[in-house]
Amino acid sequence: MDKYELKPWQDLALGGVITQGGNSADYNTGSWRTYKPLWDKKHCINCLTCWVFCPEDAFFLTDNLKKESKIKKKISGINYYHCKGCGLCAKECPVNKKGKVFAIKIVKESK
Amino acid sequence: MSKIVSITGAGAISYGMKQINPDVVPAFPITPSTQIVEDFSKFVTDGKVDTEFITVESEHSAMSACIGASVAGGRVMTATSSAGMALMWEMLYIAASMRQPIIMTLVNRALSAPINIHADHSDSMGARDSGWIQLYSENHQEAYDNLIMAPRIAEKAGVRLPVMVCLDGFIISHCLQNMIIEDDDKVKAFIGEYEDRHSVLDIKNPVSWGALDLADYFIEHKRAQNIAMKNAKDAICEVSRDFSNVFGRKYKLFESYKTDDAEKVIIAINSIAGEIKEVVDKLRDKNEKVGLLKIRAFRPFPYAEISKALKNVKIIAVLDRSESFGAYGPLFTEIRTALYDMVDRPLIYNRIYGLGGRELSLDLINDIFQESENYLQKGKVEKIFDYINVRGG
Repeated sequence: MDKYELKPWQDLALGGVITQGGNSADYNTGSWRTYKPLWDKKHCINCLTCWVFCPEDAFFLTDNLKKESKIKKKISGINYYHCKGCGLCAKECPVNKKGKVFAIKIVKESK
Repeated sequence: MSKIVSITGAGAISYGMKQINPDVVPAFPITPSTQIVEDFSKFVTDGKVDTEFITVESEHSAMSACIGASVAGGRVMTATSSAGMALMWEMLYIAASMRQPIIMTLVNRALSAPINIHADHSDSMGARDSGWIQLYSENHQEAYDNLIMAPRIAEKAGVRLPVMVCLDGFIISHCLQNMIIEDDDKVKAFIGEYEDRHSVLDIKNPVSWGALDLADYFIEHKRAQNIAMKNAKDAICEVSRDFSNVFGRKYKLFESYKTDDAEKVIIAINSIAGEIKEVVDKLRDKNEKVGLLKIRAFRPFPYAEISKALKNVKIIAVLDRSESFGAYGPLFTEIRTALYDMVDRPLIYNRIYGLGGRELSLDLINDIFQESENYLQKGKVEKIFDYINVRGG
């Protein structure tokens, strides 16, 4: 369910005051998207460059279960509730930059 | 005990502020409001008030500090004039939209250019759409009384809007007049304790003020703000009734002076009302049916109440002490709008007077009633818009 329900004016807080901490996470910036990044687990090297550059913090991270590995965190997907399709992740991705395969592909939102 | 004192209007306002004893006063002095800030800073230095007095580097900062102190849960007041309020412009809208009950005395003065320090209403009339409640004052007593009523109106639940108490520069701010200063304890009891709303200092309930609204919410916030201003009309009436019960002086949204059976009425704002009353009295002695309607609340504007009060009037002259270049005067447009729904609309015309402190003498006011009489006999208004007392006509 969309947590960001539009309220009538009668239900608004006085002068637009925000009374809950961290509620900008409720805002569905994903509704702004016209282009959409598709993450390909097969080609991803888990360098986390996309996670660093993403202005919306829209990449999900999980702990790497292989304790002996140098890579502590891995990308596990994209949060489309917040991803607004800016394309920075695909532009900065070092796999994409090599140009042979794509770890993040940008496609039209309708696809 | 209340006492009768001879005092300047600015002195009366700063004395009223002393009695209210606000938590914070950020201010920057500007003519002709300077004495308010000067006197009040002396009260602070002498330990007569508990106020945190913030000297700031500009009026933009003064109003910014007012907003900051207000969202921190304090009762906040300031004073300014003319260009000072013009420099606050951005923050005026923010204070109102963030629903902070800040009280500001505006000593009306012309806006430049040319530079002029004397009374006209171009400063407050320009700010009429900023979302501030505007109360106007004919004399020292009304200015002081408006100031005492302002916190109660501003802080009322359902209103929570800033209030601008307006009085004419020099004519009221600097001249001495005898007036009643009420007892400190009685004023304190009338004002009551300040109740904050969503204070940023309430660390158990953290809040953010002044966040972004995009197209999906902005208009809803404005709609809610408009209802607050509608509620302000009832609040002004209610607080004025309470005030008259406690202190004996009666105030309404506007004052109808001998208008009940009047055929010719002048409508005006602020200090000129005193002179008009004198002319009305003289003409009444000659059995002329004349009267004055003096606006006290300009925002919210009492459309329905005014049209009801003017239902038997035959001709109205509206005096504006500010210009809206390329349009009629701001008071005239409101009054004409108020009259539109009447079955028998009176004749009406607009005169601009007194810009930059230009005098409007008793004779000139008498001439206005004479002009109304001429139009009444002809059955039509010949000049809907004109200036009074301008060389070259």
